[in-house]
Amino acid sequence: MSPTAPDLIRAEFDLCRQIPSLVDLRTAVRGSDWDTVEAYFDFLDDEEERAVAANLVSDLSSSERFLERAVADHGSPLARTLLAARYISVGWDIRSSYTAEHVSREQFQEFHAWLRRAEQLLIGVCADEPAYALAWMNRLTTARGLELGASEVRRRYDRLAEHHPHHIQAQILLLQQLCPKWGGRWEDVFGFARECMAAAPAGSHAGRLVVQAHLERWLDDSDDGPGDYLRATEVRDDILAAADRSVRHPDYRPGFHWVGDHNDFAGALSLGGHYREAAPYFRTLGDKATEYPWGYWGDREVQFLKHRRRAMAKG
Amino acid sequence: MTQQTDGPAATVAQDGTTTTGPATAPAFITATEVDRIPTLLAPTSGGGPVTAGLYFRVGAADETLATAGLTHLVEHLALHRHGVSDLHYNGSTAATHTHFVVSGTAEEVVAYLNGVCASLRDLPVERLATEREILRTEQAGRSRGPNHQLPLWRYGARGYGLASYPEYGTLHLTADAVRDWARTWFTRDNAVLWMTGDTVPEGLDLTLPAGQRKPLPAPTSALPVTPAYLTGGSGGVVLDGIVRRTSAASLFAEVLGRALFTDLRQKGGYSYAADCEYHPRDTAHATITAYADALPQKQDAVVGGFIDVLARMCAGTIAQAELDSARVKRLKLYETPDLGAAALPSYALNVLTEHANLTPDEHRAELLAVTVEDLRDVARELHASALIQVPGRPVDWAGFTEAPQWSAPASDPAGTVHRSRQSDAVSLTVGPEAVTLVTPGGQISVRYDACAAMRVFPDGARHLIGFDAFVAEVEPTLYAKLTPDRMAVIDAAVPAAAVVPMPERDPDEIPQAAARRGGLKDRARGMLRSLRPGRG
Repeated sequence: MSPTAPDLIRAEFDLCRQIPSLVDLRTAVRGSDWDTVEAYFDFLDDEEERAVAANLVSDLSSSERFLERAVADHGSPLARTLLAARYISVGWDIRSSYTAEHVSREQFQEFHAWLRRAEQLLIGVCADEPAYALAWMNRLTTARGLELGASEVRRRYDRLAEHHPHHIQAQILLLQQLCPKWGGRWEDVFGFARECMAAAPAGSHAGRLVVQAHLERWLDDSDDGPGDYLRATEVRDDILAAADRSVRHPDYRPGFHWVGDHNDFAGALSLGGHYREAAPYFRTLGDKATEYPWGYWGDREVQFLKHRRRAMAKG
Repeated sequence: MTQQTDGPAATVAQDGTTTTGPATAPAFITATEVDRIPTLLAPTSGGGPVTAGLYFRVGAADETLATAGLTHLVEHLALHRHGVSDLHYNGSTAATHTHFVVSGTAEEVVAYLNGVCASLRDLPVERLATEREILRTEQAGRSRGPNHQLPLWRYGARGYGLASYPEYGTLHLTADAVRDWARTWFTRDNAVLWMTGDTVPEGLDLTLPAGQRKPLPAPTSALPVTPAYLTGGSGGVVLDGIVRRTSAASLFAEVLGRALFTDLRQKGGYSYAADCEYHPRDTAHATITAYADALPQKQDAVVGGFIDVLARMCAGTIAQAELDSARVKRLKLYETPDLGAAALPSYALNVLTEHANLTPDEHRAELLAVTVEDLRDVARELHASALIQVPGRPVDWAGFTEAPQWSAPASDPAGTVHRSRQSDAVSLTVGPEAVTLVTPGGQISVRYDACAAMRVFPDGARHLIGFDAFVAEVEPTLYAKLTPDRMAVIDAAVPAAAVVPMPERDPDEIPQAAARRGGLKDRARGMLRSLRPGRG
């Protein structure tokens, strides 16, 4: 996390470059080496890091047949969950990133069919192991995609939180469900974000939930181009206060989530024109970027580099 | 479901047993005969009242849709002579049995039972019109359980499915029909008497005509694929399934009920009531029914939580403590004093339905032998045969298949086609073999030879209900050219036994074709609303 030269010409979105140990996992998946995959997940004792690792696996197109074979061979909870995650990923790619009214009927049917396959695997895993965080986390996504209703999504989150109260990945997913675009209300979005941050120990990842709430609010306000919502002083101060309880707190432990944490803070601040305040986060990040929030407006790499350049010039 | 009053302390009755074989009374119960009716006696300690019950192997599932309510009528007529008194007595009609039960002094019990049998020998049919009226009033005021739709969807409009329907027989049954029914079913050979005490009291005269012990009705099916679902209902979730009658199955119902209560009420706060029941259906099988209501805004969570509880049971993730606490509760039932007397009703019912009776020790041994794996196997049996009713959205995501919403496609029905007056996309065909309603969504066909009942209205309308429970409403006001001669084709083809004459309808209840205003789409929508396609 050393300061990096400000004149970057490309950004690094590859999770494996950001978190080098993930390369071993990716290699194992590509090599159909189940024992190594399992050992890797066993080695990670942090549920939140297991969530990041699972996301990596589910994004690999080569994982599907490998995981189907693993499920057929031994059907361990991990294999079933990773396969379900892969099915969700395939389904979500079909749905694409359009908003609901732009997706065709056939796309929806296919999308739902993949999610149902995933859901049925996950029902089984949760029945076998009611505290299995990875499965519950994926069931937040299936419930949202299959439109099983807000109270059901919340139930799933509560079942996960019963055993894993500060699971940041699950909290991010529930935050999405609470947004008006999925039928929720802003007061619930912000209420949940603040509640999680207050409940978590100082230095946790939960500060980014407040940031994401503001980013979602801003996106909702932005029609043809980025809106002004993030420019407000109160919003900026709220984000900085969240940072103090989170990434800037002495107890902050980076883990696998630090790249995402810092991109959220850098994004929310610089998209609101608070470049000077955004600069430290960009400095920490170096070239490491994430899809969110840069992919919302135009090319994610162009956006990241543009905002980074402006921030570094000010800060 | 029909009411299942089981007399005093009949809790043991819910226990099934695993063995089969000749139905005999165990040693602590004395078997004898009264007027050639098999009779079971068991003593009570300390001279309380005498309690007795007379069971007949006849119930709603033995009737047809058109005659539904026959048994209930006989039961009411048989009790009529007792009028109002302080005596504690009752009569009840269930799917497969009818029960007359009484508690009082020996003299009172004798008088009651003698009176019931005297009435059954010679029914006071002059009371028929009044009792029919009483039953109709009773029906109108009867609160129906959340599971009341399930029998119809599982079995169709016959046999065990009739529990879902109104008692159409009360609209038209004649004195002859009621007398014939009593003579055929309420016989000494189709009855079992049970009574507390060492001996039969003096003065009993239970003379009944000879007949035969009637077999239980064979289950029918209107569900091609299970596990299945349907949507609608009161907002809660209700599921039933068919399992073998075993001690494990009765314990499982207890475990499932508690798990639903823990997850949905105590932990989640999504439901107020959550429970599960086990009811023997016939000699070898029982119905397990699980239910959870939903607090406002929590319906979806109740569906999800319900499905997860069931999935956990099927996976066998059942704590030994869950089994143990259910077992302790069940074993407590065997600590009652006068166990023999308390168990009499269930033993009598088992004799009647030829289900083997076990001694309390044998029951206890079976309960003690049940393992978590046994419960898992019951859960899987339940799941494989399950029918779930959920509010709102489908549950195909959980692996359930939608119960049929339309008839199987029939070969192009010959006959006259009558266009709907409301929608060009809807028509009704009156053919030589069936009436078929064709809509854009699918078709509903009722064959005359598979017609469970035809409601005949004085205004000319005919509603045909098939054995599969699908309904075709033939309303002359809604379709073109449904002339009297076309209606006559239907009347001639539907078996006379299926005809139910209905009372005159209020003019507002007779559907009228909406004036053709607005676009075609609006008209079609209005049409489909008024059709109420489907079952019911």
